[in-house]
Amino acid sequence: MIRVDLSRCTGCRRCEAACAFFHTGRINPELARLKVVHLYETGIDGPVVCQQCEERFCMVCPENALSLGSNGEVICSPTVCTLCGACEKACPIGAVTQFQGFVYICDLCGGDPKCVKACTEKAILFEEGERPSFENIHKATRGMNPQERRHFYLSRLGQKLREEWAARSPAEESQDLDKT
Amino acid sequence: MTRLRYGYGGRLLRVNLTRRTFEIEEIDPGWMKSVIGGRAANTRRLDEELDPGCDPLGPDNPLIFGVGPLTGSLLPASAYYTVTAKSPLTGILGDSAAGGQFGAEMKMTGFDQIIISGRADAWLYLWITDEGVEFIDCPGYAGLGVASTTSSIRKAHRDYSVQVAGIGAAGENEVLYSAIVSSGNRVNGRTGMGAVMGAKRLKAVAVRGKRSLEVADTLGFLEQTRNLERAILEHCEYDKRYRLGTTMLMQDLNGIGILPTNHFQEGVCDYVDEVSGQTLAERYKVKNKACYNCNLHCSRYYVTNEYEAEGPEFETLCSFTSRLGCRDLAFALEMNAVLNQAGLDSISTAEVIGWIMECQEKGLVKPEDLDGLELRWGDTEAVRSTVDMIIHRRDLGDRLAQGATRLSRDFGEEAQKLVMQVKGLDIICGDPRGIKAYGLTYAIASRGADHLRAEPYFELTDLQDEARERFGTEKAAMRMEEEGKAVLVTYSEKIALLTDCLTMCKNIGLCMDILDLENAASLLTAGTGVDYTAASLEEVLGEAVQRDRRLNRRFGIRRADDTLPERFRKESLPTGPTQGSIVDIERMVEEYYRLHGWEDE
Ligand code: SF4
Ligand code: SF4
Repeated sequence: MIRVDLSRCTGCRRCEAACAFFHTGRINPELARLKVVHLYETGIDGPVVCQQCEERFCMVCPENALSLGSNGEVICSPTVCTLCGACEKACPIGAVTQFQGFVYICDLCGGDPKCVKACTEKAILFEEGERPSFENIHKATRGMNPQERRHFYLSRLGQKLREEWAARSPAEESQDLDKT
Repeated sequence: MTRLRYGYGGRLLRVNLTRRTFEIEEIDPGWMKSVIGGRAANTRRLDEELDPGCDPLGPDNPLIFGVGPLTGSLLPASAYYTVTAKSPLTGILGDSAAGGQFGAEMKMTGFDQIIISGRADAWLYLWITDEGVEFIDCPGYAGLGVASTTSSIRKAHRDYSVQVAGIGAAGENEVLYSAIVSSGNRVNGRTGMGAVMGAKRLKAVAVRGKRSLEVADTLGFLEQTRNLERAILEHCEYDKRYRLGTTMLMQDLNGIGILPTNHFQEGVCDYVDEVSGQTLAERYKVKNKACYNCNLHCSRYYVTNEYEAEGPEFETLCSFTSRLGCRDLAFALEMNAVLNQAGLDSISTAEVIGWIMECQEKGLVKPEDLDGLELRWGDTEAVRSTVDMIIHRRDLGDRLAQGATRLSRDFGEEAQKLVMQVKGLDIICGDPRGIKAYGLTYAIASRGADHLRAEPYFELTDLQDEARERFGTEKAAMRMEEEGKAVLVTYSEKIALLTDCLTMCKNIGLCMDILDLENAASLLTAGTGVDYTAASLEEVLGEAVQRDRRLNRRFGIRRADDTLPERFRKESLPTGPTQGSIVDIERMVEEYYRLHGWEDE
C-alpha cells in the first residue's frame, strides 16, 4: 500500500500531478487519485490516499461496482458504477472522489505507483504494512465532505509531527554551531 | 489558430469592484503570442489600459493577476503568478511575483489573466471559479493575518484546495510598501501591490479551478520537462540550495564582502555565523517546503519558541539582521512571520528603519523630528515596535508608511542622499560595489532598484572562457569589473523575462542556468502548440523590454533616473574583499543604452 512520511513532505504536489497525468494525459488535481493538502497555519503538508483500512468503509457500494485487487487496492468498475456517491460518502479520510462521471480511488498503478517515482523526497513509499483501523476517524468525521475529511485526517496525523518539532526546542540545543 | 487551446486557459476575467460585476473574454491568440504570458502579458495589458496619470490608490488603477502558458503544468517550478499595477510607492510600473500554490490553482480556473478595477464600497473577497466571480462581503476579516484569512475562506466554502492571495493589516492600511501574500507565506513583496489591493477594499482573491490543462504534444513535453528535472537534480548547487535555499547567500555574500551591514556602510558582518542560513537550518528548520511541482524544494519551514512560518528568504533574513545591525536570529524569524502575516515588504521596511538609524547616527535626523523615535543599530526592541507602528499606521507609523524615499523629503539633502533607492524602490540586500552587473541591473530595472529583472548571476561564476565566448570578454564573469556587464545584462534581462513569462522560478531558470531560448522555445511549442522558435522568442522578449521602457517614459522616467545612490558611485567599502571598489555606473548605463540603440534622452 501507499504510505506517507509526513515529516518529509514539502507539499510540492509532484505526486498529484504525476498521478493525474499518467492516468489521463491531463493535469488537474481533480483527476488525481491522491490529493495533497496544505495546512498553511501549521506547516503540515501531505497527500491523502487510500490506506486500505481494515474496515473498508467504501465497499458499501449498492451496485457491487467495487472489488479488491491483488495488492489490496479498491477497483471501481466504470461499467457497473452508477455514480451514486455511496463510496465517496463512506471513506472517512476522503480518499475516494467522484469527478465528472468517474470515481477516483488509488489503483496503485497496477503495482508500479507513479507518485512514488515522482516524489524526490521519498515521502511516499510503496510497501507492505499493517492496515489501519479508521473506526475513530469514521466517527469523528461524520457529516463532513471529502475535503473536510482529508483536512481533518491530515491535521490529526500532523499533530504527532508537530509535537516532535516542539520537542526539539532550539533553546536546549547545543550552541556548537556549524561555521562553514 | 482561432483560439488558445493547449497550455493557455485562453480566457481573461475582468472584475469591476465598484459595480460588483464581471465579464469573461476570450484572449486573442495573436495578442498572447506576442507576449508569451506572465509578466510581459501583464505589462502589455497595463500599457494598453492604464491612464498613466491615474492615482495608484484610486479606482482606475487596474490590478492584474497573470499566469503563463505552462503554469501549473509538469514544468518544474512553474508555480509563479505576477501581480501588476501602477505602483503607489514609486508612481511607475509596479509588479511582483510569488511562488507557492496560488498560480497553479488560478491556472485551473482557465483564466490567464484577472483584471480587477474599481473600488468596493465595503471590504470583500473575490471567490473565483471556472464560472466566474462571487463578491463576498467579509467585514469580520478586518485585521486578520493572511494565514487566518485563508483558513476562514476555506472553512466557509468547505474546501481546502482553495488558494488565497490576500492582504494583512498593512495592506488594509495602504502602507505604500505592503504586500500580497498567498499560500500562507508566499509574498508578492515589492512595489506596494498590497496597498493597491487595500485601496480597492479587496481583502483577498480566492481561486478554485477544476479545468484541466492539456499540452499539445504530450510525449514531447514530458520528455523536455524530464530533461529539465534531470538538469536540476544533477546541478552542483542542488544540495546546498536544498538545505539552505536562498539563505545560503548570507555566508556567500559575506564571503565576498558585499553583505549589507549597518545600512550598506559595511560589506562584512563579523557576527554572520550567528545569523547565517547554516545556523538557521541547524537550529530552527524543521522541514523543506516547495512550490508547485518543484523538485528542488528550496523553501523551508521553521519553528522557534514563539513563532513559526515558512521561509525566510535571504532578503528578509539579511534585512532584519546585518542590514540593521541585528545579531539575533530568532528576532529575524519573528519579523519574517510578522511581516508575512501583516503583508509588508521586508526590504522596504528595513530601508526606512536602516535609513533612520544611519541618519540618527550621523545627526542628520533628530529623535525630535520623529516624535522622539530613537533607532540604533541592533536595537531589536525598537525595530519591533516601529514595525508595529508602520503596519497599523499608528502615530509616527503613518509617516513611515510612505517609505524611505518620500519620508526623506522632510529632511535635508544629505539625509536624502542616504536613501538606498533607485526610482523610489528600495535596494535589495547586495552591495553593488562588489557585483557590478547587479549594480547596472538596479539602475536600469523597470520597476526601480531590482535584481530580478536580469539576475546576472553569471558574473559571480568566474567562468572566464565561457564569458569570452558568450559575452566577448572574460570580464563578464568577473564581479568587480564593469566591462562586458552591459552585454551580460542585455542577455540575462531576456532570460529573466522569459522565466517571468513562463512563470518559472528564477533561482532555477536563471541562477542555475537551466533555461535558455532554445529549450524554452521547444517547451513552449510542445506545451502550447503555438510555433515558438529561439529567434521568435528573442524578438518577443526584446519588444517586451522596449515596452517597459516606453511605459516608464509615460510615467516620466528619464535617462538620469537610471543611476545608483551616491554612496555606491563615490564611497568605497572600508574593509573586506570588496574594499576600495566603487561603481562606474555611467559607463555601464551608457553601454547598455548603446546596445539597445536608445538615445540618451
Ligand atoms: S474506506 Fe477509504 S481508506 Fe478505507 S479502503 Fe476505502 S478508500 Fe481506502
Ligand atoms: S511528491 Fe512527495 S514531497 Fe511532493 S507533495 Fe507528494 S508526497 Fe509530498
